[in-house]
Amino acid sequence: MTNEATDHNGTTKSTARVPEVDRKLLEILVCPLTKTTLRYDSAAQELISDKARLAYPIRDGIPIMLPDEARELADGE
Amino acid sequence: MSEEKSHQGLVVDQFGAQAHAYLTSEVHARGEDLVQIAGLIARARPARVLDMGCGAGHASFAAAPHAGEVTAFDLSSEMLAVVSQAAAGRGFSNVKTEAGSALDLPFADKSFDAVISRYSAHHWGDIAKGVSEAARVLKPGGVAAFADVIAPVSTVCDTFMQAIEILRDTSHVRDDSRAQWEAHARAAGLTVTGVTEYRLPLDFTSWIGRMRTPPVFVAAIRQLQDSVSSDVRRYFEIRPDGSFTLDMMVMELAKEG
Repeated sequence: MTNEATDHNGTTKSTARVPEVDRKLLEILVCPLTKTTLRYDSAAQELISDKARLAYPIRDGIPIMLPDEARELADGE
Repeated sequence: MSEEKSHQGLVVDQFGAQAHAYLTSEVHARGEDLVQIAGLIARARPARVLDMGCGAGHASFAAAPHAGEVTAFDLSSEMLAVVSQAAAGRGFSNVKTEAGSALDLPFADKSFDAVISRYSAHHWGDIAKGVSEAARVLKPGGVAAFADVIAPVSTVCDTFMQAIEILRDTSHVRDDSRAQWEAHARAAGLTVTGVTEYRLPLDFTSWIGRMRTPPVFVAAIRQLQDSVSSDVRRYFEIRPDGSFTLDMMVMELAKEG
């Protein structure tokens, strides 16, 4: 599993795009409040708990699994 | 600054700003306890390890050479940024970071083959809850190691220690005793497979420096150190410059398969 890319100067660095969250980690992640599985929204870089109605942000590839940092889902979302 | 502060907020404020100090701290980067944790992981060869309250990641780095993957888990994103950078610097591509609370782990039941935690539990507010969360995410047959400062058996020494700890760091909650830890393990359904106690000498200047303890609290700690009985002073080996020695413990546990 790698998030690295080699640019034209030959130096290895994190991808210029949003760093990908670790796929294997996603498999075991649950909502800290409800312990239910999460939906991964790769475009928004969010992990969504339908049961808790919260979207946990992924910042720089790091899932922030804190309810205080999560966004409340809007109606119909 | 808000007058009303959550405990989590205190912890994040306290550690985020000082993340690098923990990466380089001798107390945190070295220690026989770290060697013991590495030994446990080397014997277990777990596919997946969780480091609860990883701080600057020293326990994660001790485990990384012997594990498939290590999840370095902490409340503070700033701390995790330091961990990611240090992991890359040491060539550990199997250390992944994730932010969250040890008391509400965002992992499915039976997700990990090993759980480790070092110098974190005294910030948790409810150590029993943290240990039960560790037991929940452990697979049957999995192993765990908790390393932390422990309260002395003597009540007056216990009170003195918690007092100077909270003066030094307002996010301190409590160093539980070995007996309390054993009770937490039993309540969580984990078997204690070994307890090793260590004496941990602390240099006063760097001990308060890591926490940026305000001068008024530093003065209060020194005053307390000078005012307690000679029994307490002897127990903690308090020296003229305020340096002293604490007890710490590594508790090894297993979840029956």
